[in-house]
Amino acid sequence: MNPRIIVSDFVASMKGWMRSPGTIFWAIVFPVLLILIFGAIFSGTDSTTYTLYVQDQDQSMWSHQYLAMLENISVLKVEVIPKDKNITDYIKEKDLRGALVIPEGFGSKINQSFYDTNASINLSFYYDPSDQGSTSVVRSIVGSSLQELNLGFSGGRHVVGMSQVSTITKKFKYIDFFIPGMIGFTIMQLCIYGSIERNTKFRKDGILRKLQTTPITRTDWILAKMLFMLFLSFFSTSIAIIVGILAWGIVININIWMIAIIIANSFLFSGLGMIISRFVKEEETADTAAGAISFPMMFLAGTFFPLQQMPQFLQDFARILPLYYVNEGLRNSMINMDFDKATFYTGIVVVFALAFFIVGILLTKWKED
Amino acid sequence: MIKKTVRCPSCNNVLTFFGEPGQVIKVTCPKCSAEGKITFEKTYTSGNTAIQVSDLRKVYGELVAVDGISFSVKKGEIFAFLGPNGAGKTTTVEIIESIRTPTAGTVKIFDKDIFTSFNEIKEKIGILPQEFHSFERLTVRETLIYFSKLYKKRADVDEIIKAMDLESHKNMLYKKLSGGLKQRVGVAISLVNDPEIIFLDEPTTGLDPKARREVWQVIADLRKKGKTVFLTTHYMEEAEYLADHIAIIHKGKIIAEGSLDELIEKYGAGSTLRIKKCREIDAVDLLKEKGYNAHSEDNGDISIKIDYKDRVLEVLSNLRHECIDYESIDIRRSNLEEVFLNLTGAKLSEEE
Repeated sequence: MNPRIIVSDFVASMKGWMRSPGTIFWAIVFPVLLILIFGAIFSGTDSTTYTLYVQDQDQSMWSHQYLAMLENISVLKVEVIPKDKNITDYIKEKDLRGALVIPEGFGSKINQSFYDTNASINLSFYYDPSDQGSTSVVRSIVGSSLQELNLGFSGGRHVVGMSQVSTITKKFKYIDFFIPGMIGFTIMQLCIYGSIERNTKFRKDGILRKLQTTPITRTDWILAKMLFMLFLSFFSTSIAIIVGILAWGIVININIWMIAIIIANSFLFSGLGMIISRFVKEEETADTAAGAISFPMMFLAGTFFPLQQMPQFLQDFARILPLYYVNEGLRNSMINMDFDKATFYTGIVVVFALAFFIVGILLTKWKED
Repeated sequence: MIKKTVRCPSCNNVLTFFGEPGQVIKVTCPKCSAEGKITFEKTYTSGNTAIQVSDLRKVYGELVAVDGISFSVKKGEIFAFLGPNGAGKTTTVEIIESIRTPTAGTVKIFDKDIFTSFNEIKEKIGILPQEFHSFERLTVRETLIYFSKLYKKRADVDEIIKAMDLESHKNMLYKKLSGGLKQRVGVAISLVNDPEIIFLDEPTTGLDPKARREVWQVIADLRKKGKTVFLTTHYMEEAEYLADHIAIIHKGKIIAEGSLDELIEKYGAGSTLRIKKCREIDAVDLLKEKGYNAHSEDNGDISIKIDYKDRVLEVLSNLRHECIDYESIDIRRSNLEEVFLNLTGAKLSEEE
């Protein structure tokens, strides 16, 4: 390893990057624009169908009727949580954004309300405040359904109400969900396309052949490029965080998990870029291949929208995408501060990174056959 | 005693043998038991030799790209490796540059085996690969500084810029340069470590005639500075203009080697004396009677094949003696195209 050569290569990469409008757009302008635009759009959101998880602890005639009423609401899809499950554990285990609990005594309180005007009972609505999009809609639908219920048997008197229980202690907004996803996605784009440029364009232009005949080693060169990619990743992350703080007032927790995921993310997608360019030698074709891989990840890995809003088969598919673990790891470390989950996701991302980067290095050859 | 390292063509195993110059030994690969012969060349090293290539062979499946070629390049000369596209030029030069691995054979640069000492050799050579394009978004000067920092020994970048006549373009981005300037920068890059040998692989391919001439001048100047230049080209004129020594490669084999004069003398079609506007109708018959290979051209000129220059005076003397009048004469020398034609039965330009 030769630090002089590594620094020289880093400086050259830096100069080249600063003169490239395209790469600056992807590193700075694109994430900033999306943070501003999506932040504005998703302060209120809509969807055609929403899933409502319901636990009926009462199992009475009235609770069955109310469930049937909910099921008749066309925009709602009701999923029943078994009565014996601990609701908070279940929500955590299934990573649900919202759930409604019909408490024991629901039916008897309604029966009591016919002769006791003070009788009332509250349903509990558990929700994830970071999922502003769907949760707030579901909550208002449930609220309307309760008004209708009250109107039906008590002429509008408040018998059944709703208490809200946050599944997390902090108040989250959509932008809190979005910024970690944007960071993960931007690093992915920078690293995949940066890696492809190095390995296809430089090969086509004879730069790799030229470098092979100079004292720079393949290790020095890869180290210099990774150093540069890490710099870009942290630079781009800083921009996203600064814009998030200034424009949307988000609160970010910078910690070892976040840093580890950013580093692992850079290695992971640089490795993926190397693998792509090993099999697709033409620069344009390699760009298309990278797009074919990264573009679906943008939408399916929980970058812009919570996975829970997607059909089950897409949620299952998302769990094989490395970006999903990057996004979740960043969210749990930066925003939720759930460090058990952050550790879990960091571990998965590191395993992905090691696998992709090692395979990428093994497949990246300087020497021709 | 000479050490020779070869690769087994069957299993790619690297084997080392020792022998005396001129000795031929039978060998067996200990790994796959393949048998073969190893020749230890008589002219294996020389104090004046910059590059020594021996029995170099490169096989891709059924295709023999380089078929056991041997040659040497002297210090301070421009060596042109001439041949049509696909002849094996680039494969050979890339093996010498250690970019490719040979199937068999040895390459020594300054008496050092490139397969074992290439890290040391790298500091002494400069290379312009075929179709090379540098970093688009660095300026000419930044590009040269970048490459110079890769070496321990560095030439003065500003001096190279001056010598290559790149001063007015030194702050321009590489991508904005013309094709000729890019090639000049490519040559300049190959000089950043003040190398003793410069490899230029097809340095003028794709350039217009003016840009090509500019690059030729740069290469010619390198010889003046005492550099050894290994030039691969498929342009005859380039080899004729620049080279001290030419090796013609065809279908992976070297079919002729020597200086331009030697090649033309040995394989050329001789020179042609052309007598313009000859006023004697029977002149051709008269010359044929005298034993000359003469024939009449469509425009009335007479062409006579001559094999050495004294024949010119002899022919002119005979014409005067016969009182045959003419307007002018010119002598056209045979060229590498004819050498190639005589050697292969095809024109070099048609092979491309």
